[in-house]
Amino acid sequence: MKPPRCLTLLVLCLTATLASAQPSFAGPAPVPTVIEDAAQRRAAFLARRDEVIAWRAGRAQLGVPATFGLGEIAARLALRQDAAACSAQLIEVLQRPTGDMFWMFPVTCIAYLGRDQLTPAAQAALREAWRTYFPLRGDTENHWVMYYSTLYLMAQLWPDEPGERWFNGKSSAEITAESQAWLLHWMDLTTTIGQGEYDCTHYIGEYSIPMLYLATWAKDPAMRQRGRMMLDYVMADYAVETLNGSYIGAHARTDDTTVLEKWNGLASFFGWLLLGNCPPPANHGGWGFFFAVVADHYELPEVIYRIGTDRAGAYTHRERKRTRHRWRNSDVRNAPVYKTSYVTKDYALGSDQGGLLQPIQQHSWDLTWAVPDPRGVHNTIFSMQPYHGSHELMMYFTEMPDYLPAAVTFQGKPTYIAEDKLLGGSPYEQIFQQDDALISLCDIPAGTNFEQVNGFFSKDLAVVEEDASGWIFVQGGRTFIAFRPLAPYTWRPLAAGGRRLYSPHRQNGTILQAASADEFETWDAFKAAIRALPLTITLAPTPKVSFTNLRGQQLKCAYGAPPRVNGRVIDHEKEWKLFAGPFLNAEVGSRTLTLTHGRLTRVLDFNTLTITDAVAP
Amino acid sequence: MSTARRLFFFGLALTTAAVGNLSAGNVASPTFKHDLYLCVNLSGETGIMGRSGGSKSGLYRSSDRETFTHLGPEHIRMYTLTSDPRERSTLYVAALDGVLRTRDGGRSWRILTSWDMTEPRSIAVDERAPDHLYAGLPDGIAVSRDRGATWQRMNDGIRRTFTQTMTVDRTRAGRVLAGTEKGVFLSEDAARSWTLVQATEETTYDLRQSPHDAKHFLAVTARDGALASQDAGRTWQTIAGLPVDRTLHNCDFDPHESGRLLVCGWGVGVRVSEDNGRTWVDRTGGLPKREVWRAKFDPDIPGRIYAAPYLAPVQVSDDRGRTWRPLQFEKALVFDLAFVPRS
Repeated sequence: MKPPRCLTLLVLCLTATLASAQPSFAGPAPVPTVIEDAAQRRAAFLARRDEVIAWRAGRAQLGVPATFGLGEIAARLALRQDAAACSAQLIEVLQRPTGDMFWMFPVTCIAYLGRDQLTPAAQAALREAWRTYFPLRGDTENHWVMYYSTLYLMAQLWPDEPGERWFNGKSSAEITAESQAWLLHWMDLTTTIGQGEYDCTHYIGEYSIPMLYLATWAKDPAMRQRGRMMLDYVMADYAVETLNGSYIGAHARTDDTTVLEKWNGLASFFGWLLLGNCPPPANHGGWGFFFAVVADHYELPEVIYRIGTDRAGAYTHRERKRTRHRWRNSDVRNAPVYKTSYVTKDYALGSDQGGLLQPIQQHSWDLTWAVPDPRGVHNTIFSMQPYHGSHELMMYFTEMPDYLPAAVTFQGKPTYIAEDKLLGGSPYEQIFQQDDALISLCDIPAGTNFEQVNGFFSKDLAVVEEDASGWIFVQGGRTFIAFRPLAPYTWRPLAAGGRRLYSPHRQNGTILQAASADEFETWDAFKAAIRALPLTITLAPTPKVSFTNLRGQQLKCAYGAPPRVNGRVIDHEKEWKLFAGPFLNAEVGSRTLTLTHGRLTRVLDFNTLTITDAVAP
Repeated sequence: MSTARRLFFFGLALTTAAVGNLSAGNVASPTFKHDLYLCVNLSGETGIMGRSGGSKSGLYRSSDRETFTHLGPEHIRMYTLTSDPRERSTLYVAALDGVLRTRDGGRSWRILTSWDMTEPRSIAVDERAPDHLYAGLPDGIAVSRDRGATWQRMNDGIRRTFTQTMTVDRTRAGRVLAGTEKGVFLSEDAARSWTLVQATEETTYDLRQSPHDAKHFLAVTARDGALASQDAGRTWQTIAGLPVDRTLHNCDFDPHESGRLLVCGWGVGVRVSEDNGRTWVDRTGGLPKREVWRAKFDPDIPGRIYAAPYLAPVQVSDDRGRTWRPLQFEKALVFDLAFVPRS
């Protein structure tokens, strides 16, 4: 007897759903633990890696082209399954290339995974695609990393070919030389004055995937070593500014979702895969699969694993980055970015110095508190000055001025020109952080879009109390937080839940002080301690704050002047190294990074291309 | 509006369109001396690096001014175009990826520049030394002395180096003008040194030399309006009657009529002068938008102007901008309209 058609359809759908299930995404959140045994750690990592590949391979249904894209082909090839079907589907998919550098790295991955599996016809289609499809190089750092890493690898796969065989008209030798030159330039820039698209909640993938591919497939041992070292570099940079896998603090780029739900970005995929201390995001953050599919070629150094997971106590980490290339409205190509992060087991406060450091998606500061399961939780609080304008866009883009602000909103940044946005930097905000206290001052010229400060107050705050003293006391997780708006405000509801503090005053700002619930006998004791802290606020003609924080440090900040701590003027340019803290240390210009955790030390030296590990007795 | 008035205007529009089409039919002869090229992004508002593909953006050529053929790669950021005066099938395109060249009329392409030069905004050939190319980069000026085989940066004397536009004096080899973030610069020694000849508050977006009087140049800017020079670019005067609070995108001289000029821009529409810039008439009526990216006189058809409003069809007028009709594309961002001599 034939089953009813609808039942067949239901079974097929169920099968497809199960096959494409993401067990770790749907299952319970991992309890952050430190796996001491290296073999167990590796086994757990490989199990997670296998889960990703099985998930992606399971999405492909043979004979259903819509389910069988580049990712599914790569997954099946990684499992050494269905080479004939993969070949046929690859030929089909290559008929309609799209995505520029986002096409290049999946196709490179398939080319290498399929070297001994794809049919001659599929190999020929691959070859032809790199002649006929003209992927754009793009205009951001992550675009170029993907573009040149994959061009380097594809020219290596097809050496000695003339320019007529490549989309750009350059020979394999020319492509190799150009790609290598830029990759070395980028690595040099990053290890001397810092990354431009630093600490991105999504784009970390666009750096780590190409580096993994170079580390895995580059024939030149020097390039292979560089790929490996840069991968360690990017992962160490991430691990030190995480709280249970969530990327905390200031980001060159994040997005409207992740700025509120800190876990919900591709970065957390690396937390899950490499550190095992958070759930993976849905669909492994989009591109996570293309790391996982080759991830068995990488072993996260134990020192990085421990930096990300094994936290004995609170620490302050400082680092220096650089802005994206500035084309106009600036006398410097890459201005320095000075970052500070203070991390405890319960919370992390992170910031940059404010100002226009990146276009559109900059996030300058926040406090993130730890939660047992971050999925759907807005475990963060911050304020920002919502600004948009062609001045910013002209600085960082080469385009014509007038169409861009509106055009940006159609290009994946829908809130750019919105008054209620919570994402983006401002030229009129100055920030200083000392330990777990932060002062943000805003002096907004009349006529600016917009003459206000927005504050984010999460739906997941356990307590919100507006105190007669002017402080707003809130609790998130086990973190007590005192938030002081410098100017009057009202509340506006947020579609995502929670409330927006709306303060329409041009001289403005925020003071924030955090503490662990463990530090106080009671909630009231915390509030009393905050109320007792010396504080003076002046708003006219420009904002000034003098505040003694919970740690006894007197902070004096005046808009337009360098901050003072206990009377000492803070000179960012002199004091901020490339990395400084208990775990990562590097001098500006050094091309080296020293990673330390407990007895473990690893030195990445790009001058000599050496990795040196040491264990203190 | 009353029904009668509506009918009147409807009839007027039909008549205008019919005249326009008739005119177009008359002029679409094979006797043109130039081909029309357009650098176009057809991907609409959502066109973005990393998602391009499928829109057939890039370079288009029309030999008859009515039909357009796509040439070369799909590309959403081809900015400007020029050609080799000795060999018109050799085209140079300033594009996101660098300076692109085809030597076979668009069948095959090569990116001439390397990683260290990106997003050139403009490309110019020295007609008196055609091996020499000048590219305006967002961080300076690049010069090639060997038809693009090798390049050197040559922007000594320019502090803010964003360079949007370049033009080479057709009367003297090595005499080059550059429109930069902070003004117009002049070099008389093939870019070895540069002199600021006109400071501007923001970027200069276009520079043109008159086909009638080689000493007459026009420039348009973001915040300083339009400028004219009568001494081959040494000194400049603001042109009255044009907005200074709007971004002017480009300017042009009518090759057929020495006193006729045009400028276009964002919110400016198309403005035409019949008296060498003393007075201007707004010729935007009939265009779908006042945000006009590019406008150009036709060197083969007297009185014809092309205009490219932002994300709208490319428009053509056969009466010097009095009336317009859509010519090509539905929703185009036209970075450049250029005419290349056929021989």
